[in-house]
This record gives sequence, C-alpha cells and structure tokens, in this order.
Amino acid sequence: MTATNISASPRPPAARNGRTDPAPRAPGRGGSLLRRLTDPLGALLVMAALACLWEGYKALGRAVGDTVLGIGLPVATDDLSMPHLWTIAGSLAEPARAGDPTSLAVYLIGETTVTLREALYGLAAGSLLGLALAVLFLHVAPVSKGLMPWLVASQTVPLVAIAPMIVIWGGKAGLPPWAAVTGIAAYLAFFPVTINSLRGLKSPPKVQLDFMRSVGAGPARVLWSLRFPAALPYVFAGLRLAATASVVGAIVGELSAGTGRGIGRAILTSAYYYSNGPEKLYAAVLVAAIAGILLVQVLALLERLALRHRHAR
Amino acid sequence: MAEPAIISVRKVNKVFNGGSDRAVTALEDIDLTIGRGEFISLLGPSGCGKSTLLRVMADLTAPTSGTLTVNGKAPGAARADRDYGMVFQQAGLFEWRSVLRNVELPLQVAGAKKEVYRAKAEEMLELVRLREFAGHYPWQLSGGMQQRVAIARALSADPEILFMDEPLGALDEMNRERLQGELLRIWGDVRTTVVFVTHSISEAVFLSSRVVVMSARPGRVAACIDVDLPYPRTAATRTTPEFFEKVKDVRRALHEAPSERAAA
Repeated sequence: MTATNISASPRPPAARNGRTDPAPRAPGRGGSLLRRLTDPLGALLVMAALACLWEGYKALGRAVGDTVLGIGLPVATDDLSMPHLWTIAGSLAEPARAGDPTSLAVYLIGETTVTLREALYGLAAGSLLGLALAVLFLHVAPVSKGLMPWLVASQTVPLVAIAPMIVIWGGKAGLPPWAAVTGIAAYLAFFPVTINSLRGLKSPPKVQLDFMRSVGAGPARVLWSLRFPAALPYVFAGLRLAATASVVGAIVGELSAGTGRGIGRAILTSAYYYSNGPEKLYAAVLVAAIAGILLVQVLALLERLALRHRHAR
Repeated sequence: MAEPAIISVRKVNKVFNGGSDRAVTALEDIDLTIGRGEFISLLGPSGCGKSTLLRVMADLTAPTSGTLTVNGKAPGAARADRDYGMVFQQAGLFEWRSVLRNVELPLQVAGAKKEVYRAKAEEMLELVRLREFAGHYPWQLSGGMQQRVAIARALSADPEILFMDEPLGALDEMNRERLQGELLRIWGDVRTTVVFVTHSISEAVFLSSRVVVMSARPGRVAACIDVDLPYPRTAATRTTPEFFEKVKDVRRALHEAPSERAAA
C-alpha cells in the first residue's frame, strides 16, 4: 500500500576511516535547499501522472469487454468498476451514513486513528521484541540457528490463518479485541526489525571491535557504545518495513476481530455495500494508504534526526 | 637497556589453524625484552608475524605457548587496566561520535566522571594539535587527521605503553613523514613506551631507539639494532650520513635474515 521509502538496505556506511584523504570539510550539507524544493514537487508530479493514468484509462472505454487496437482491456472502465476521481473525492464530503451528518472524510479519519493507534502499539512492541531477538541471536549463536527457521516459518504462514487464532486466544485470555489487533500488528512488525538489526549489530569492522577490546570494554559496553549506534541505520531500515507491515497487520486484524472500529472495518463495510457506492471503498483505501505514508514519513523524519551527524547522504 | 623491562616475551609461539594441515606458524620462539621509555619498531616483510606479535602483547590474540608480561602483569590484566593504548592501521573512529567524544571513549569505559574525561580529551586534542576540530565528525577529517585523533584517543587514559600497528600505512608519503615528526614530538611530551609495527625501513630508523628485525615463515627475531641517533630528530636527521648508515645496517639485517625455512 505504501510505496515510498521502504528500501530494505540502509545507505552504505561512510567510507571507512583513513582510507581516503579528502580535504577537511565544513559541516553542512550542500543542495539540501534545492532538494527540499524539488521533493514535494516530484511527489505532486507522480500523483498527477497517476491521476492522468486512471482517468485516461477510463476515457479509453465505457463498458465491459472494450478493446483498444485489438487488445482487450483488463479492467472494465464503467463507473461501478472505476469511479471518477472527482466522484471519490466528492464522496469524502458527503455524509458517511444516511441520517448522520458526519462526513465520510471525518468518519474515515476517525477510524484511521483507531487503526494507527493499534498499528503504533504493535510497531513499538514488535520492534522491541525484534531488537531483543537480534541481541539474543548475536550473543547466542545456537539459538539463532535453532530459532531462525521458525521465525521465517512464522512469516510465511498466511496472515488470514493466523489472525483469527490470535483473536480467539486473546478472547480466551480475556483481552479486549484491540489487544489482539495490536498483537497481529506486532507479529508482522518484529521480523524485519530482527533481520535488519542483527545485520547492523554485526556491522562494526574488526578495527572498532579490536579497539573496544584494547580499552578493556566488556560485552555490555561494546553493545551499548559500538554495536547499537553502528546498527542504527539498519534498525531504521527495518522499522520502515515494520511500519508498513504493522498497518497491514492492524487492518487485517480488524477484519478478524470483532472490534467494530478501525479503517479495516470501514473498508469491509464499504466493500459489502460496494454496488451502492463504489467510490466509498476507494475513498477508504485512499485514506488507509495516506495513513501508511504518513507513518513512514514520520519514521523517516526520526531517522534523519537520529542520523544527522553521519556521513553526508 | 639500562631501563627496567616493561614488556618481556619468553619463548612465545603462535600457530594459526593448529592441528590441521593448514597450520601456519606465525611466531616461533620469540624472546624480546622492551625497556621502559623505549621506542621499539618491529620491522619485517609482510607475513613475518610482526602484527601478530603486537596483538599477542596487547591480548587481542592468545599465544599458542610461551609467557609474556606487560607492565609486570599478564597481558589480559594489562589490557583490563588500560596499561596500554593502541592505534591501528585504520583510525577506526566511531563515525557517530564527534572528534572530542571519540577521544573521551577510553576514559568513559574506565568509568571516569564526565568532567574528568572531558578535560582529559581536550588536553589530548591539544597534544595532537586538533583542538579546533573537537566538534567535527570523523568523515570531515583527512586520513592523517583521523590518525592523529586515534593517537589522542589511545593516549587519553594515560597508558604506560603505546602499541601502534602500522598506523601510517594508509597514508601517502608526504603525510607519512609529517606524522612521523609529529609522533616523535608527542612521544617527547608523554614519554610512554612505544611498540611500533612497520614495514618501512626508513620509518623504523627515523622513529626508533631500537629496531627489531623479524624474518618470515616462521616469524622470528632475526636481529636487534640500536639506533643511537640523538633525539629530538627532525627532517634534517633524515639527510645525515649517520641516518643513511643505520638504514643500510637495518637493510642488511633484513636481507640476511633467512626468508624461508626450506632455505635454512
């Protein structure tokens, strides 16, 4: 759903100390002002291009089974299958339900905040678990060998199969439905954090490890002063993947849990009444996507803040 | 060596991949005594075990057999007590720490108070003449400057010994000579014992009070040559006949050293 900034690998580490011999440089990053101006412009251009594609495709045909230059169109272009963008936008301003003055936009945003809260709790819990697992794997190699296949397996089991189980277990344990949803979000979030963090914890070069040993640093100090800071760019790469995964987890979790709230529920309801107003489903999906993008952007901002002193990007 | 010994190495052997058919004898029967305040160079071709010997003294590698004492203790105890500081071929500075905070690290590890390690780090940057770069980050410095920060860092816990593993190996010739002079000036200030690994003959002669020539495969001490050129040594020292004479002596010792066991 969110396609921005989720590349898995962090930026390459700075040229290792001492190898190159650049002239001393003053702090500050050249061209950042230019980038600050062109980045949103690029985003707007991409959005405009996508909108043109949608409406252009729609303009090519009017019904099912149209052909253009002898090629069958894969998706029907009628208003039921592909509502006009302005219809989707317009539906946001209309009342969400008959007899209720609340607009669809306000309703969807309200449901999205519920989902985002679940996703954020899940992301936090999953990331902590992921980090703890990475530290465990780093220090106890046999555990890593024994547990890793199970972690991989846990991520290949279809979420739609796992989610109801977690909901049922949560219910049996007397937990509120949102707790199960958070659990599902965490279940999806921990894995990329574990994989990337482990990589980051192993990233310090031998010379830095030797140096820490030479000053009599114990394992805890090496972890805290060397491995954690060295791993930070990798952890953030994992967090971005985990953020999108946690939103997906929360939405799918809502479908299984009887929470009655959340954007997942809203999407399900709109899908149920699709023929009555297809634009409402599209509006709901749009709002969910924007929420995911926002979450990733907030993380990107945190990352920029945390890594501001590292080598120029 | 009138000074009392600060490092003593007795019958030290180091075999890598011991027991397998890929066993390599890196060090064989090394005997070496280093006096307090000496500037010792370990010189030899690559593969002669000079770096391995340094790493054994620093307790970064365990010897296969033999005994050694560093500052009167087992190497592990000397390491834990921060009796030595170490500079590597790569500066290995932490890229997320400013220059000042890099230099603070050893005393932080030692559990010193903030005002103590802050003051000490500033003093050390003064020593290597990089005070004004305290707030810079490693990537903003040249390779030579990074290496000077590494020297400041190695000296910040007031060690008795400075181990240097080809610290100037990654620098170009000009920077290299400038830093050699700088290193001697610093050594004149702090007067620690220095054990310096290099494969450059002129570097060893210019810096050291004694050059330990090693031979390769297996790594052995082939000769010890005192360099009695007076300190302080300057750029002018490099052009004196006495300097050339010493370089010739060391070169002869290097070439006379048996290079392969098969030839011996």
